[in-house]
Amino acid sequence: MISRVLVIGLDCLDPGLVERFLDDLPTLRGLIEAGEFRRLRSVDPPITVPAWMCAFTGRDPGELGVYGFRNRADRSYDGLRIATSAAFRARALWDELGEMGLRSIVVGVPGTYPPKPVKGLLVSGFLTPSTETTYTFPPSLKHRIAEIVGEYIIDVRNFRTQDKAHVIAEVHRMTERRFRLMEALMKDEAWDFAAFVEMGPDRLHHALWAHHDRTHPKHDPDSPYKDAIRDYYRFLDGWVGRLLDALPGDTQVIVMSDHGIQPMYGGIAVNEWLIREGYLALREYPREPARIDDLIARGLVDWSRTVAWGEGGYYGRIFLNVKGREPEGTVSPNEYDAVRRELAQKLEALTDEEGKPLGTRVLFPEEIYREVNGIPPDLIVYFGGLRWRSIGTVGKGIYWHENDTGPDDANHAPDGVFIASPPLAGRELSLPDIHDLILDLYR
Amino acid sequence: MEYDRVTLKIPRPLYERLKRVIEGTGFRSVNEFVVHVLRDLVAETGEDAALTPEEIRIIRERLRKLGYF
Repeated sequence: MISRVLVIGLDCLDPGLVERFLDDLPTLRGLIEAGEFRRLRSVDPPITVPAWMCAFTGRDPGELGVYGFRNRADRSYDGLRIATSAAFRARALWDELGEMGLRSIVVGVPGTYPPKPVKGLLVSGFLTPSTETTYTFPPSLKHRIAEIVGEYIIDVRNFRTQDKAHVIAEVHRMTERRFRLMEALMKDEAWDFAAFVEMGPDRLHHALWAHHDRTHPKHDPDSPYKDAIRDYYRFLDGWVGRLLDALPGDTQVIVMSDHGIQPMYGGIAVNEWLIREGYLALREYPREPARIDDLIARGLVDWSRTVAWGEGGYYGRIFLNVKGREPEGTVSPNEYDAVRRELAQKLEALTDEEGKPLGTRVLFPEEIYREVNGIPPDLIVYFGGLRWRSIGTVGKGIYWHENDTGPDDANHAPDGVFIASPPLAGRELSLPDIHDLILDLYR
Repeated sequence: MEYDRVTLKIPRPLYERLKRVIEGTGFRSVNEFVVHVLRDLVAETGEDAALTPEEIRIIRERLRKLGYF
C-alpha cells in the first residue's frame, strides 16, 4: 500500500543519457531494477513551459491555452505575454489533493509564479524574478528557506557565458541547495504529496553539449569539460539517493523529466526566410541585424503586404496575418487553409546550406490538441526535427551557426524520462498522463 | 527589488466576513486572500497583470538569455 508520492522532476533529463551512464548511477539503477523505466513522450512543443504544468494538470497545451513562455494575449502584433501561474487556469494535482484534505510540498515547478495558495507549501519555479519577491506560499516560508539553505538559487545566473567552469559550479550549487531544501521540508513537514523540479540538467545540456558530444561539429576533443554532463548525472544520482534514504518504504517514487536533449546544429532565421519567400514585408530592411519584436515595435513591418511572421525560440511559431482577425490582416479567411498548407510544404522542403533535406516538421494546433484555447500559433515548426532552432532576427541571412542569444549547441528532444519505483504505469506514457497516474493512487 | 504597494480601503463588515472566510485555509491574512482573488480575476483578461513591469523585464531578459526566445 502506497501512503505517499514523491516526484523528483529533473528538467531535460535525457533517457538516452540515463541508459548510457547507468553503470555510474547506482540510485537510478536501483530504482529501475525495483521498478520501471520508460520513455515519457513530451507535449508539443517539448518546452519547460507549458510541459511541466501539462504533467501536473493532465491537460495538453491546447487545453491549457499555453503554447510556450510567451503567448498572444490578443490579436495585436505585439501582444505577447509571459505565461505566469495566472495563465494556468486548470487545477493542478496539488489543488485536487488539497480538496481531498491532503498536504503537498511543491518546489520549483515552472509556471507557479506568482505562487497560488495550496494546502501545504509551495516554492515557485524558475520564472520567479528574484528571492526578494513573495515567491513562496505561505509567504513566511521564504525566511525558513534562507535558514535552511542560505541564499536560495532560483536559476543559474550568468548562464550565457564562455566561462564554463562558472556555469558548472553554479549548476551544482543550485542543485545542492534545492535538494537540501527538499530534504529538510520533507523531514520537518507532514506531507502526502511532494514534487520538485530541478532545472540543472537543462542548463548544463545547453551550456556544455558540444563539449560532451564527440560527434558534434563544434566538439573539441581536448576540452577539459567533456565529462561535465556525465559527472553531473552522477552528482544528481547521489542527491536522489540521499533523499530516498530518508523516505519511508511505502512511498511511490517517480523520477521524471519534461523532455530530453539532442544536438543542435544551427538556427533558421524564420523571418528572413519569410521575407525572401515574399510572405513578410518590411518598410525598410535593417542595416544591422534586428529582432522581429523590435522591428514590430518600431513600426517597420509593412502589415498591408505581410502574410505571415514568426517568432524565434527552440521551436518556430508562425502567425498568419488574417483579415478580420489581425488589425491589418491580408489573408482572407477562405484562403487561410491553402496559405497555411503552402507555407507548411515550403518549410518542410527547406534544405540546409548544402542542399540536404533538413527534415523539418510542421504541426497545426487543431490537429494535435484535444482543444485549442487562447491564441495558438498558426503553424508550429520544428526545424530539422528540432536539430535547428528558430531565430527571429532579420538582417543576417537564413542559416545561423551561432545563436542570437549566446553559445548553445543542444535542443530539446521529444522523449523524457519516466522512472517509477515500485512500477506504476506498465504502458506507454505521455506527459499529461502523469496527472491521473498519480491521482489514482490516492483514490 | 521591493514591491510597489498601495493601500485599498474596504468596508469593515466585509473585512470581518473575509476574516471568517479564510479561517482554517492556507491564507494567513485577509490581505493575502484579497491579493489572490484579485490576481485570479485579472488573469481572466489574459494579461500578465500579476507581474510588475520590472518583474516582466527581469523575466524576459532571463528567458532571452536562456535561449527560450
